[in-house]
Amino acid sequence: MLELEGVTKRFGGLTAVREVSLEVREGDLLGIIGPNGAGKTTLFHMISGYYRPDEGRILYEGRDVTGLPPHAICRLGLTRTFQIVKPFGNLSVRDNVMIGALTRLRHVREARREAERVIEICGLSPHAEARAKGLPIGLRKRLEVARALATKPRLLLLDEVMAGLNPTELAGIIELIRRLHADGLSLIIIEHIMAAMMRLAQRIAVLHHGEKIAEGTPAEITRDRRGIDAYLGEEFVLAEA
Amino acid sequence: MPPALRRHAGALAVFGAAAVVPLVSRDNYFLDSVVLILLWGALSAAWNVAGGYAGQVSIGHASFFGIGAYAAALAGTRFNASPWLGMLVGVAISLAAGLVIGYLSNRLKGPYFALATIAFSQVLLIAASRWRGFTSGSEGIPVPFRPGFWTLGLGHVAWLYMALAVCLLYYAVGVYLERSRVGYQLAGVREDEDAAEALGIATRRLKVGAIALSAALTSMCGTLWAQYVGFVDAFYVFSVDLSVRFALNTIIGGTGTALGPFLGSILITSLETYLRAAFAGATSGYTGIYLIIYGVVLILVVRFAPEGLTGIAARLRGRWARA
Repeated sequence: MLELEGVTKRFGGLTAVREVSLEVREGDLLGIIGPNGAGKTTLFHMISGYYRPDEGRILYEGRDVTGLPPHAICRLGLTRTFQIVKPFGNLSVRDNVMIGALTRLRHVREARREAERVIEICGLSPHAEARAKGLPIGLRKRLEVARALATKPRLLLLDEVMAGLNPTELAGIIELIRRLHADGLSLIIIEHIMAAMMRLAQRIAVLHHGEKIAEGTPAEITRDRRGIDAYLGEEFVLAEA
Repeated sequence: MPPALRRHAGALAVFGAAAVVPLVSRDNYFLDSVVLILLWGALSAAWNVAGGYAGQVSIGHASFFGIGAYAAALAGTRFNASPWLGMLVGVAISLAAGLVIGYLSNRLKGPYFALATIAFSQVLLIAASRWRGFTSGSEGIPVPFRPGFWTLGLGHVAWLYMALAVCLLYYAVGVYLERSRVGYQLAGVREDEDAAEALGIATRRLKVGAIALSAALTSMCGTLWAQYVGFVDAFYVFSVDLSVRFALNTIIGGTGTALGPFLGSILITSLETYLRAAFAGATSGYTGIYLIIYGVVLILVVRFAPEGLTGIAARLRGRWARA
């Protein structure tokens, strides 16, 4: 479904992502982990069209999407959420989600109905009327997901949607991701919370200094020394406890 | 009240009141103030398309106003053509200029964009005031009064209804931008461009379109204003003061609302007309005082009603509904 072939991104002298190749198949749930500054978000920026890779190609459903603008990529069925959430702050939750739905739907009325459906799935119904900027962070993360879902993606990139959530909120969003995946959505998730990642992801890729240093099932990754050295060490112990 | 009526009750009151003015008074001074209120209101509504709905705050909209004013004045004086034709030419040129400004908006954000639009209007000012052979330079162009619809030589009452028709058209554009698919997408662009892109909105194209439309609507009113007032002066029609006026009326009335620009114009234009008359004459020593009061009103609005007059109205309505 998605193929990265030797993708590289440089900022001046710094190579943020170096020759990363990845493959996501239909129905995958791929996790990407790595320390801060490993290039995870840069990778997302390239897949979703915000950065153009300096080298390499990105193929989505067999089509070369390298260098396409984000809105075109979204219309092909691939979209993302932002690590630092970007709600349309002055609009209601419903209007936020509706703007996503309007990408596929011509009519405002249909889009409103679709927005209601997605809001329900994401457990935001009690807050549909609320202004987005007044929501607590947990709900804003959900809104980020809801808005992206409303564009009807087949592949969704989630950039740290669990960061900063309390245990209840965390359980809720994990449940939501599970359900979306079970309904046939393919996902790539960036996450720092190892415990969640180990339970959710089918495969995990480890980025370090912009390079992919390991890829495998959660069990394989935990056995891989380099991955553990780079990142998992202490946090993984916590996750197992 | 049916919901559609309630939604447009404010507009009905404002435009209805304007429509009955000639039935009540034939005082030319009064009619003149109403025509100006309507024209400045329409111009602010035109600015609102870019500055309000698309969130691209321009302080150079006088560019398009001046283009419209000059196009019609030159059409009449140099080519002996109808000002309506001049209006079309002005709209075409303004659309093209709007595309240029729109392109800039994709490169420059916020204050940098605003500065670029000011620069654009100043370039036009210099061009118009120096190109003596064609534009009569800084002497300006008196627009000859030739009675008739095609020459736009109309009486005060006819002008009032003309301006009112334009206001209704621009109000309708505003309503469309509040409730349509494009309107919601523009709201997304205004709130957060990156997020809008991720949701499949072609943000650049949408912004350029909104700015070009805003430019064309401004240009149309520029033509009408020049034909109504009867004189085109480069230092006025391309002035920053004028650009600021479009923005201020809208901000005071309610940015990104269909009725806001008109409410802003009613407050500011009538205040200015009154203050100018009250403190007229060099002997009074207060000739510039309206500018000070202008400033005070702006500060009060920004401090106490950042959402403008329409925001106050909505709040009052909410309180009333609860009581």
